[in-house]
Amino acid sequence: MSDLPYGPPVRVSPLIRFGRWSFLGLGVAYGAFHQNRLSKKEAKLREIEAREKVVKDAKLKEERERAAAG
Amino acid sequence: MAAAVAKVPALISSAVAQARPKFAIFMKYAKVELAPPKLSEIPQIKAGIAKLLSSAKSGAWKQQTVKQATLNTLVGAEVIFWFYIGECIGKRHFVGYDV
Repeated sequence: MSDLPYGPPVRVSPLIRFGRWSFLGLGVAYGAFHQNRLSKKEAKLREIEAREKVVKDAKLKEERERAAAG
Repeated sequence: MAAAVAKVPALISSAVAQARPKFAIFMKYAKVELAPPKLSEIPQIKAGIAKLLSSAKSGAWKQQTVKQATLNTLVGAEVIFWFYIGECIGKRHFVGYDV
């Protein structure tokens, strides 16, 4: 114990250690939960956009042909 | 290039050999300072939380010296920061969410 380079280890209070570990665990849980929620929302939006993209592409193609002919 | 690549395993093993005693010293500190609280320490934790709440209710927190208040603020801020570190681990991305 006396040969440690920074002196004896500090006795951190159990409340502080409990707080640190519990906040870490809560943070991991909240991060995973929120990530899951947001990625599900984004998947739905992507589906809607893919469907609208077909319609939009058809309209754009039509307008380009009209512009090229006219 | 081949000579440099051939030296990599030797470098890694020498780095590991150098790091091992330092890691042992780190573990000696970590076992006391970073260890998660044991079940036997739960009454102390409850007493600590009760002390915090009672001092917040009775206004005793205003009677601290500025130095004590600064130290308590820093410690409290560090404890809260661990939540955000946990959130980065949970969302597996550093800044923002990767959808």
